[in-house]
Amino acid sequence: MLRRLSVVVLVLFACHTSARRHENPPAQRIVSLLPSFTELLFAIGAGDRVVGRTQWCDYPPAALSIPSVGDGLPPNIEAVMARRPDLVVLYNAGPNVTAAKQLERAGIQTVLIDVNRLEDLGPATRTLGRLTGREEQAESLAIALDSLAGRPPPPATTSLAFVVWDNPPIIIGHGSYLDQLATQAGARNVFGDIAAPSAQVSLETIVARDPQWIAVLSDSAVPPAFAKRREWRAVRAVRAGHFLLLPGSLFGRPGPRSGNAIQQLRLRLNRNGVGAQHAAPLHGTPSR
Amino acid sequence: MKWTLLAIVAVLAVALSVVLGPAAVPLGELLRSDIVWNLRAPRALLAFLVGGSLGVAGAGLQALVRNPLADPFLLGLSGGAGLGAVIAIALHLSGPWALPIAAFIGALAALGLVYRLGLIGGASLDPRILLLGGVAIGAFAAAITTAIVSLADAAELRNAFLWLWGGLSGASWDSVLLVALYAPIPLVVLLAASRPLDLLALGEESAQYLGADVERVKRRVYLAASLLTAVAVAVSGVIGFVGLVVPHMARLTWGHRHRSLLPAAFLGGGALLAFADTLARTVVAPRELPVGVVTALIGVPVFAFLLKRWTIA
Amino acid sequence: MTEPLLRLDGVRYRYPGATSDALQGVSLAIAPREFHAVLGPNGSGKTTLVRVALGSLTPLVGRADIDRRPASMWSRQDLAKLVGVVPQREDNLFPQRVRETVLLGRYPHLSLWGRERAEDHDAVDRALRACDAAHLADRWLWTLSGGEYQRVRVARALAQEPKLLVLDEPGMSLDLKHEMGLFELVLGLVREQGLGVLMITHDLNLAARFADSLLLLEAGRPVAAGAPNDVLTQQTVETVFSWPVAMQTVDGRPQMIPLRQPKESRA
Repeated sequence: MLRRLSVVVLVLFACHTSARRHENPPAQRIVSLLPSFTELLFAIGAGDRVVGRTQWCDYPPAALSIPSVGDGLPPNIEAVMARRPDLVVLYNAGPNVTAAKQLERAGIQTVLIDVNRLEDLGPATRTLGRLTGREEQAESLAIALDSLAGRPPPPATTSLAFVVWDNPPIIIGHGSYLDQLATQAGARNVFGDIAAPSAQVSLETIVARDPQWIAVLSDSAVPPAFAKRREWRAVRAVRAGHFLLLPGSLFGRPGPRSGNAIQQLRLRLNRNGVGAQHAAPLHGTPSR
Repeated sequence: MKWTLLAIVAVLAVALSVVLGPAAVPLGELLRSDIVWNLRAPRALLAFLVGGSLGVAGAGLQALVRNPLADPFLLGLSGGAGLGAVIAIALHLSGPWALPIAAFIGALAALGLVYRLGLIGGASLDPRILLLGGVAIGAFAAAITTAIVSLADAAELRNAFLWLWGGLSGASWDSVLLVALYAPIPLVVLLAASRPLDLLALGEESAQYLGADVERVKRRVYLAASLLTAVAVAVSGVIGFVGLVVPHMARLTWGHRHRSLLPAAFLGGGALLAFADTLARTVVAPRELPVGVVTALIGVPVFAFLLKRWTIA
Repeated sequence: MTEPLLRLDGVRYRYPGATSDALQGVSLAIAPREFHAVLGPNGSGKTTLVRVALGSLTPLVGRADIDRRPASMWSRQDLAKLVGVVPQREDNLFPQRVRETVLLGRYPHLSLWGRERAEDHDAVDRALRACDAAHLADRWLWTLSGGEYQRVRVARALAQEPKLLVLDEPGMSLDLKHEMGLFELVLGLVREQGLGVLMITHDLNLAARFADSLLLLEAGRPVAAGAPNDVLTQQTVETVFSWPVAMQTVDGRPQMIPLRQPKESRA
């Protein structure tokens, strides 16, 4: 009696798993709605299956030949559906949840993935690997990304503040990927005590915490406009021209190039305060 | 005497603004501190000047449109300023003064449109149309602004909205000097219109028979109040409730004679904004609240209290 | 006969876009110590007459002079030193005390930056006394009765120290006692202070009792002008007001009593 029961259970189990495999064949037409996912998909060898991307997905260069479905903020449902995908990968946030539901109703498989910090990269890679049937390739990348995330940060040899906006001053806090980048590159985020990913602070707080560097996501080689404003010159790093101008494509998104980004940042910081993108000190000191 | 008290409150508010802040500056080091001289002092003064300007503009406007609920930002100026700022960012206009100048021009454009609308009935400026036109133009500008934000580079523009919420972060001796040179002219124009404004409270016909050149007064008061508001928006975004609530608070003690009401509104508005800014910088330190939020949080209960007093009267 | 303070000569006026004249061929002269009343049915042009007389509107034909100068040439401030007006409506926005609101009448006399002087406060006191409102000086306006408020408004006009007083339907919405009080007040100002008065009123009987001269308007045209006895005849009143009346005499002045009128016999 018990033997017959266990055979039935085993058979049912086998049917179930084989059924599961039948329900989720590897995705062949993928629309990626975040540059991080586009990069990850290419990195695990599923790049040829990506049929739609956002206008911000600019890496690797091969991605540029994939049709764009808009800026993805929020996703343009019609444009996405026009690509006839069988899988849409979205960043897990408010407006995207609604978009995902709409796509599901139209019969398209969607997946919402968190990718806010380094530690999210491993699981994200594995998920993408499973969905595309590239589990092996995904696993090796995921292991590398996990170890990157788990690596104890080197001792901080310098300090910085990431400035996202100048009026009012908005800085990056501990909850952000950029904070992790900085820490891993050996720079202490002077606003690491703020738990949120970003926050508005008073200019005098920036002055008081006196970061050695002001980091800005910028594709330009010229310091940002606020560097010339009188009130910002009270910040020592601004007066000294200690700006880290970090191109958004490499530094602004968690992804397979994160390790590269950390390395690059470390190199810039270690060049004795004369980083490749740093401008000459600005003239004049603020008068009393 | 109430003027002495008000002067003390004003000085105290500015002093607190200089002494307190998220960066701990010991009292002994105040005079030598870089932060105090380059950041807090100009910011405190700017808060005072902007708050005072808004208080006076609000009082003048309430008398002009004969509506105690009028706020300088009902005239569509904030919508115009926001649109100007967003266009400047969308066009990637550089330069440290790009935003304030664009906002000022936007405010002036809105001013011109509303003024033109106000003259629609003929040569006489109709205050009711000023109000309605202001709301309409403001809404129109806000709609265009939202359209631009949704079409263009979203992240930067969303931060621009934070600027619009009101903030004195851009304060420096440059902006203090600018406002200190600019504001006295419209302020004096408004003060000179004190008596005609008293008369206007009786209605345009009665005011005319009591010697007021009503058309001239309406034009001047509208333009002066709007110019003050425009410069306030340009340097510090939209800071609501100051222009609405301060005149009423001043009226409680100084009555309705604009000769004393306007100066009281100036000192009171300045003190209020300086105080609100201190709170904005310190209550959630190291983070900072937008000062427009603080003035609303203070303003709404005060306003409710005033409404109660009004309905009793 | 002294020089008139206010003079209208053959005035014609039409509002822009209107199909007919609001005033046509109207003449009027008011000297000091004269109490003139302007009467007429609704829409006969009474308020337009005041506006033209005071320079707010410019006549298409004819002259409107104040103190021998065209009314529209006067600056508002100078005119306010000469003419005190109590308009029909007043929409006081903010709560005020009586003394404060009467003080507004001194504004034409104040310089741009100068403060109120002792003589201004004296003028306010005198005006309040003349209107029998001195005891109301510290009261809030909203606590006053209709009659008291009206007297305060007259006091404000008096505080301007005018030579001419213009009142537009001052007795409207006042009860009998207060309306009588108002007319007595105005007559007293004419006799004792030598003011000239132009009053627009609906009240034919009181106008007849108190005024020195009446001007009766119909559809913008003057029907009759002169002493009450000459103007208010039964025939004239019935024609202008389209209603049968009986006439009586009280204190030597004509008083009209409207008769009841069943609908059929309307001419």
